[in-house]
Amino acid sequence: MVMNNSKMTDTKYTCEEAPCVMACPIRQDARDYVQLIARGLFKEAYRLVRERNVLPSSCGRICTHPCETKCRRNSTDAPIAIAWLKRFLSDNYSEKIYTKPGRNYPEKIAIIGAGPAGLAAANDLALMGYSCTIFESNSTPGGMLRMGVPTYRLPRNAIDKDVALIQQLGVEIKYNTTLGKDVTLDGLKKEGYAAIFISVGLFDSRNLTLEGIQYDGVLKGIDFLREVNSAGTAKIGKNILVIGGGAVAMDCARTALRLKPEKVSVACLEARKEMPTTDFEIEETLHEGIKLYNSVGPKRILGKGGMVTGLETLRVKYVFDEQKRFNPAFYEGSESIIEADTIILAIGQTSNLSFLKNQEGLQISRGGTIIADPNTFATSVPGIYAGGDIVLGRGTLTECLAQGKKAAISIHNSLRNEKRKDEKWADKPEVQKMADSRVPLVKKEQKQDMPMLSLGERLNSFDEVELGFSHEIAVREAQRCMNCGAGAFVDENICIGCITCVRVCPFDVPEFRKGETTAYIGGDCQSCGLCIVECPAKAISFKTPLEDRGRERLKTLFAEKSIKNTKPLIVNFYCQYGSLSGNTKSNAVVEKHVKRIGILGLGKVDPSLYLNALEWGADGVLITACKEDGCHFCAEYDWIKKRSEYVGKILKELGMDSRIFQTHFISSQTDTAFLDIATQMVKDVESVISVNKS
Amino acid sequence: MIVADSKPFQEIEQMLSEYKKVYIVGCGSCVTICHTGGEKQVAELASKIRLAAKLKGKAIEVIEDSILRQCEWEFIEEAKDVVADCDAVLSLACGIGVQYMAERFPNARVFPGLNTTFMGAPTEQGVFWERCAGCGNCIIGSTGGLCPVSRCAKSLLNGPCGGSQNGNCEISNETPCVWNQIYDQLDTQQLLSTMENITPPKDWRTGAENHPRKMVLEHLVMKKE
Ligand SMILES: Cc1cc2nc3c(=O)[nH]c(=O)nc-3n(C[C@H](O)[C@H](O)[C@H](O)COP(=O)(O)OP(=O)(O)OC[C@H]3O[C@@H](n4cnc5c(N)ncnc54)[C@H](O)[C@@H]3O)c2cc1C
Ligand code: SF4
Ligand code: SF4
Ligand code: SF4
Ligand code: SF4
Repeated sequence: MVMNNSKMTDTKYTCEEAPCVMACPIRQDARDYVQLIARGLFKEAYRLVRERNVLPSSCGRICTHPCETKCRRNSTDAPIAIAWLKRFLSDNYSEKIYTKPGRNYPEKIAIIGAGPAGLAAANDLALMGYSCTIFESNSTPGGMLRMGVPTYRLPRNAIDKDVALIQQLGVEIKYNTTLGKDVTLDGLKKEGYAAIFISVGLFDSRNLTLEGIQYDGVLKGIDFLREVNSAGTAKIGKNILVIGGGAVAMDCARTALRLKPEKVSVACLEARKEMPTTDFEIEETLHEGIKLYNSVGPKRILGKGGMVTGLETLRVKYVFDEQKRFNPAFYEGSESIIEADTIILAIGQTSNLSFLKNQEGLQISRGGTIIADPNTFATSVPGIYAGGDIVLGRGTLTECLAQGKKAAISIHNSLRNEKRKDEKWADKPEVQKMADSRVPLVKKEQKQDMPMLSLGERLNSFDEVELGFSHEIAVREAQRCMNCGAGAFVDENICIGCITCVRVCPFDVPEFRKGETTAYIGGDCQSCGLCIVECPAKAISFKTPLEDRGRERLKTLFAEKSIKNTKPLIVNFYCQYGSLSGNTKSNAVVEKHVKRIGILGLGKVDPSLYLNALEWGADGVLITACKEDGCHFCAEYDWIKKRSEYVGKILKELGMDSRIFQTHFISSQTDTAFLDIATQMVKDVESVISVNKS
Repeated sequence: MIVADSKPFQEIEQMLSEYKKVYIVGCGSCVTICHTGGEKQVAELASKIRLAAKLKGKAIEVIEDSILRQCEWEFIEEAKDVVADCDAVLSLACGIGVQYMAERFPNARVFPGLNTTFMGAPTEQGVFWERCAGCGNCIIGSTGGLCPVSRCAKSLLNGPCGGSQNGNCEISNETPCVWNQIYDQLDTQQLLSTMENITPPKDWRTGAENHPRKMVLEHLVMKKE
């Protein structure tokens, strides 16, 4: 009957998206993969990541993570380490998630450049069923990830591993093949390529007009990095000065440091707070012993006998003018000198479009980027598309991935005359910032630190500095996530306005909005599930499909054939907030007789589910919850206790032995505390069964 | 709202003992709000019934459902087919709903799953107090808005009696003396002098003494065909 039980699917709850997802250029499912990790579902989490992201190992390490900047956990303490969690997945669970697609379409697509944009486009086009060939002038894939980013931030096997999975889709990469030299746009068209995607990046260093730039010992940042990245070393002096305040400058300085000169310094126009790189990156640079000169501008490079001797500087008045434009001004007469025998100019990249000779039709911007439509990535020449840095003029890894992905759909649409869309990029309202009054109600939980290589080890090698999360750290970090936008919602067709939810929510989230007669649950919901269980009309559910509150898994458990022969059978409902370690202590008895169902917060579990377990064939039900002070939500302990007492009373009424239904509050679900309880419970239930028989 | 309590399980078991297929139907209004007759309670009771049957080695099929208001013909009409298909109906509505089901489905065996107790309200989550006796002649205008008929153990109209102790009724020190509360309330409103007015004996005929009561709103009654 439908009267007050109309199907949940009919409800249109507000679909507010988590800001972490909205902030990501590829709209990675950040929240959901974090939530899967929190539940120990690592493989599923990896697969979810890989579905949208062709370079998870790289993104997990060097993404600028706008998701974290927008993470709502910024309101309570610190953002979730979304990127590091992705790295954790790709380090431990990398797998091929797609079988090689069939060839659906006859058209061949040419892609120029095996950087992030090109790889993303090739991957998605191959999955749609096109045959793709990437033409790459280097002998290795990755583009700037390989030629620019230092190995201590991104080891090359991390790139190779992900690229191998793309190649397994049938994408061919022709290395040592340069457009403009070995192949031409016209030639490719003649060879039958139906569309060409240009993603050649920005491979030249920008020039600076500065007195003394011609001296020996003045290097360009990109060239310097490329040399070290391909040859393993580069010729530098003893006293290195890097000019620039961005991420590339930090990369140059830290790379130079590993070539063991006597001293490395960085000089930049910006004050420390204005530097266009992350605080984390600056801290690491300083930690490694690099000296930072802030708010100084280069006046001229000094030299002697054709060799660099230092930099004459001026103190900066301001970098940005009143219109917030980059327009540095200096204090007159503030000249000073920084000595150096090598100066690395980390002041930006520029394009090399020499391959466009005889392609006058292709429109180029004044900045030397290719002009492409921001939605279709079509250039001014039909059949030729472009994306990545060559269009963006210095983007980020994920921005380039996004362009590649969008271009792939656009190429398909144009070849097939379709209007395919990726719904993930649709405009959606975002979950709002947490209400100030609610912030103190949410438990502070410290962000997990990244384990790092010791200073000594760092400076002697190009080994990766960040060592990666262990299972335990990853789970702990993921469990901080507030599941924004996927919490509880009220089906207004079912709600009878009883106000129970308003009364029981520990975070004061449910409310009756002015003029409304049904409850409303907003974006600050913490997904504790208490109201869902207590609502007498069953009007509340989770938006997230990841949360079954134990019911589906209990059904699956009883659908297993082997379960019939397990005697005694004990179903254990446990709180996953107490389950961090990857290795659960077990023994043969518990292994055989105790079937575990983990739930992020036992406050989500209906007491009737415990009855269901007994009804469906369990001989005992064991509830292992967190101790009162360990509760993630701070408020579930009392409820769990009360509900257990309630179920206990029901069972007593039915004349059942109290030993078959036990509730314990323990500090860990994986160590001996649990094991001892479970082992004892098996014994208890065995003796109850034998008494009942006799 | 109407408050109702769950019947002891043994009684329910006994009522249903001869039936194989039972329709347990909650009511989505008052008894849902007092957490004894809503969807959630239906699920719990159904599970309990099945478990009890299993322990006794009996088979029972339970159909779980809830109706917005069992005290409306139009709403219960929907249950027609299920009721016909089951051996018994266990209604988790107040007595009104149970009777409506029984009246509408005369061939069905309809049982009450609840004991309807009083008209009241939740004073806090999980706690319900009686607030009105339905006496048909409301007097709380002169008693500070507190009802001595339903809230005084003796339904005194001129209280308090000598049993009032420290603000509580003599029947239990967990039951507030409503006359003490009335006094405090009138004090707050500076109307204490009205305590001295003697309320004459009440005409109880408008109340429960005069079953069954009926109300007709002529202006709303529609002509039958
Ligand atoms: C030092 C450095 C550090 C960086 N750090 C970060 C970071 O931490 N986080 C982040 O998000 N981003 C970072 N970036 C930016 C990021 O690497 C780039 O935005 C991204 O790699 C650009 O991708 P793309 O596919 O457009 O081009 P690219 O990665 O530049 O790849 C272009 C490819 O095209 C090939 N190619 C060029 N010309 C031709 C031709 N004529 N024929 C054939 N092939 C050709 C090149 O060899 C190259 O492989 C960094 C960049 C640099 C330089
Ligand atoms: S708390 Fe979780 S869901 Fe919310 S913004 Fe942060 S990562 Fe995303
Ligand atoms: S508890 Fe359920 S029925 Fe009551 S107001 Fe909340 S959503 Fe509505
Ligand atoms: S799930 Fe928990 S946090 Fe969310 S509204 Fe319900 S009680 Fe509040
Ligand atoms: S003590 Fe108060 S409430 Fe109790 S019977 Fe007397 S007057 Fe009534």
